[in-house]
Amino acid sequence: MAGPLEQFEIKPLAELSVAGIDISFTNSALWMVIAAVLVTGFMTLSMRRGALVPGRWQGSAEVMYEFVANMLKDNVGSAGRKYFPFVFTLFMFVLFGNLLGMIPHSFTFTSHIAVTFAMALVIFLGVTVIGFMRHGTHYLRMFFPEGAPIATAIILIPIEIISYFSRPFSLAIRLFANMTVGHIMLKVIGGFVGLIGILGVLPFALLTGITVLEFGIAALQAYVYTILTCIYLHDAIHMH
Amino acid sequence: MPQFDIATFSEQIFWLFVIFAILYFLMSRIALPKVGEVLERRQKTIEDNLGKARALKDETDAAIAKYEAALAEARDAAQADIREASEKAAAEQAKKTEAMVKKLSKKTSDAEKAIADAKADAMTGVAEAASEIAREATDKLIGVKVQAKTADKAVSAIVGE
Repeated sequence: MAGPLEQFEIKPLAELSVAGIDISFTNSALWMVIAAVLVTGFMTLSMRRGALVPGRWQGSAEVMYEFVANMLKDNVGSAGRKYFPFVFTLFMFVLFGNLLGMIPHSFTFTSHIAVTFAMALVIFLGVTVIGFMRHGTHYLRMFFPEGAPIATAIILIPIEIISYFSRPFSLAIRLFANMTVGHIMLKVIGGFVGLIGILGVLPFALLTGITVLEFGIAALQAYVYTILTCIYLHDAIHMH
Repeated sequence: MPQFDIATFSEQIFWLFVIFAILYFLMSRIALPKVGEVLERRQKTIEDNLGKARALKDETDAAIAKYEAALAEARDAAQADIREASEKAAAEQAKKTEAMVKKLSKKTSDAEKAIADAKADAMTGVAEAASEIAREATDKLIGVKVQAKTADKAVSAIVGE
């Protein structure tokens, strides 16, 4: 019986290295490719006819489009339209990564801190660059809001700086932790099913419930990751 | 935990960037513009149809207004006809009444004249009879023959009072 952490192991499928840096194509990369192919297939094949009255597939693709578009509009406003392709790609990539992880024997690339943190860092740096480009040095006002008494600066500025710089960590760790813990839980409870004979129906029932819950978490965490990105984008564009 | 095996970070991050960049390119250049275009076209079609419906409604309203105007006109014309006819009838009636009144008043005045003539005749007769009687009476009572002229004068003096 495989241990509960074995599912997270990175297995190289093709060894590659450039300038001494290991860039092997792994199971993680394979599932990223699968996610990207599925997202692309879903978004293009379903829209192939571009019918005026959408069918089931086209309707689903349009729902995803409008869901992300509305999320961006509600949180960032019309200034956010420029970043729609990025936010949409982010949402679909994370969503499909999370959901593909629910397939038995698959690999959940969003359960790896390296992946979630790399994305979070790109978002964090991108948002910071956008903030400085739009507001110049005035963007530093983020750390000391307008109208606050000057005496509170000693406390407020460190707090604001810490909260600003903790954004990529909270973004990365939330997704990584949710995915990892969910999958460990499924594996551990799954292990009990075969272990305790006829009584195994009890953990099996529990497992069924948790599986449903995990599907919900997969979608919810993709949503949370994306909406936090939108909120950071809002701060960069409109300040507080 | 395999998640904290730093040796796997470079390969994960490399492929993440490569695949994410490709997906971003596919979404931003191919998939999303197509969806946006379809949604826009649908919006436009809906608006066009709404506009068409609005134009048709306006047309219907105009037709209804025209119909109602025609109806009102016809009603007015009919009322005018009725008024004219009733006025004509009333005028005719008034003329007839007037003629009748004239005829009646002429009859009345004729009758009055006849009565007055008869009355005058009768009065003349009465005066003659009275003077005759008076002459006879004086003759019989006192044996004086009174001249007819004198009796007539006396009688007419009394009657004339």
